[in-house]
Amino acid sequence: MNAGLWLCIRLPRLAHEVGIAAAAEQAAMERLAAWAYQWSSLVSYRLADGPLLWLELAASRTLFGGHAALLANIEAGLTQLGYSHACALAPSPAGAALLTQVGQQRCVITHSQLRSRLDSLPLALLALPPDVLAALQSAGLRRIGQLLELPAAAIARRFGPAASLYLQRLCGAASDPRPAWRMPATYSARFEFAGEVHDTTAMLFPLRRLLLEFQGYLRGRDCAVLRFTLEFEHYRHAASSVTIGMSAPARDAAQFLLLARERLQSLALPAAVSALRLQALEFTAASVVQADFFGSDAQQLQQLQLLLDRLQARLGDQQVRGLSSAADHRPERGWHFVTPQQSTPGPDTRSPARPCTLLHNPRRIEPPATLLSGPERIESGWWDGGDASRDYYVARAADGARWWVFQDLAGGGWYLQGLWT
Amino acid sequence: MSIPLPIGSQRTQTLEQLARLCRNAESGRAPWLAAPSGFTELDASLPGGGWPIGAIAELMSDAIGIGELSLLVPVLSRLARAGRYIACIAPPYLPYAPALAQRGVPLERVLLIQTCSLQQSLWATEQALRCPAVGAVLGWPAYIVDKNVRRLQLAAEAGGSLGILYRPPEAALESSPAALRLRLHAMPEGLAVEIQKSRGGRAGLTLRVGVAPTVVA
Repeated sequence: MNAGLWLCIRLPRLAHEVGIAAAAEQAAMERLAAWAYQWSSLVSYRLADGPLLWLELAASRTLFGGHAALLANIEAGLTQLGYSHACALAPSPAGAALLTQVGQQRCVITHSQLRSRLDSLPLALLALPPDVLAALQSAGLRRIGQLLELPAAAIARRFGPAASLYLQRLCGAASDPRPAWRMPATYSARFEFAGEVHDTTAMLFPLRRLLLEFQGYLRGRDCAVLRFTLEFEHYRHAASSVTIGMSAPARDAAQFLLLARERLQSLALPAAVSALRLQALEFTAASVVQADFFGSDAQQLQQLQLLLDRLQARLGDQQVRGLSSAADHRPERGWHFVTPQQSTPGPDTRSPARPCTLLHNPRRIEPPATLLSGPERIESGWWDGGDASRDYYVARAADGARWWVFQDLAGGGWYLQGLWT
Repeated sequence: MSIPLPIGSQRTQTLEQLARLCRNAESGRAPWLAAPSGFTELDASLPGGGWPIGAIAELMSDAIGIGELSLLVPVLSRLARAGRYIACIAPPYLPYAPALAQRGVPLERVLLIQTCSLQQSLWATEQALRCPAVGAVLGWPAYIVDKNVRRLQLAAEAGGSLGILYRPPEAALESSPAALRLRLHAMPEGLAVEIQKSRGGRAGLTLRVGVAPTVVA
């Protein structure tokens, strides 16, 4: 006896729906099952008799605000993914599957509601072999209710034990275990194009669907990613790929799409694309920044991360950096680049004032005519081979600029190292 | 390449901006929100008493190394301490981390963005200006046309940020839609700031500003 509540989603044959090869139908169902996992931890699908996807909802409906709200969310999600579909809700998986074929009143909650809903429906809706259906028809039966009134033993004797078991399962009177879909440890979803695609903008629609399904998978696992890979398959060329990285764990399809678009814009593909694959191998705990509620600090952080991700996607990871101080007396080693926001505060703020800008490498100059202040002696580094012994001055240049210069005490030469910008 | 704004929304934004300017002109209020510059003389001469928030200011410096960045450090420090980020887009020289830290700029709020072309720089400047988490964006465009200044101005307005464009001294010969334009001249002590254009304020003034660095303990 199944005490659950089952949502069944009937999809059109996907091969017709999205122009993919029939062999890819299973892959599409796998992706959809992963997507559906965000709503239910018991997901099952069947390709025979039209793709059907079941979600056991008894446990999750209170979580998502009642079954009506939950159903509305799921249907909106399916529409967003671009799948036409028919949903039905019933206390048995077979009952829900049957109700996806009727025009209205497709949601029943209790067994008695299910039974009275089935009573008036035509026999042809039953998922029984054609010869059994024909035999029932010739026995003068027209409606499911008439059949259900017969004793189970009599049905088993006349139409076979399989038919009897099906009818008991239909009404929820016999247990109907469904193979639970198992969430794979890594994510890989493939979309095959009907033909070759030359333009990256033509990939955006299927990419959007892949990313929405991916978002569902991440929600279902309650995790997030720092990066994912898009792999492009070509007919006469080895596959190429790009990795899209985030500065913070993310699972928002809109954000993914924005980043992927930035990256695709500047991408030079080696050949036309025949299939697209989305892959993620590593997962992290979902960040504290949730989609639903965040304070202004968290919101600001998220806005910044969106900016950083966009900049990095378009300009390259190495082009966006932060600055940090370092504990070294030699000015050229007193700083370094860091990952944005990872700076450490300056260890020594009691040194004399430093100029706002530094030359990457000190430049040899003639001895300056006007020294405004100095010297400040800086000696260090004998232990790591970069030994310096210098006298620093502020000098005035001919154009009025103030330079930070030093005289190298070992060689006597003068160098420009900074500017008082 | 820049992300094209839908024509409609661009037009709406421009109209809104115009309407705001008209209201401001009627009420006699400052045309911008201001962030104090940290220099009393300068604040007294700028409408609202400081740098324009939600607008573009152009700085045209006679030479590199006369205090053109120091002039901004107090406002950058103030914005960063208030939790907003400072984005430097393709600076022609390296901002020196210990000096910024000395002057009270929290380094974890500073972003350095390198680009490969002027177009990338303008795109990155616009993105950063639009981001509400960013308080100030500093750019050094070698060349920029009015249309793009206007575009950045709208971005600054949308993000509520201060946009600073360092432009070569020759740019002072042309006009610009920037809200504030300052020419900077070297002086033996400090910096001479000439207000070339100030939306809703007085132009033509030249002020002496002491930009000698002070170390924040």
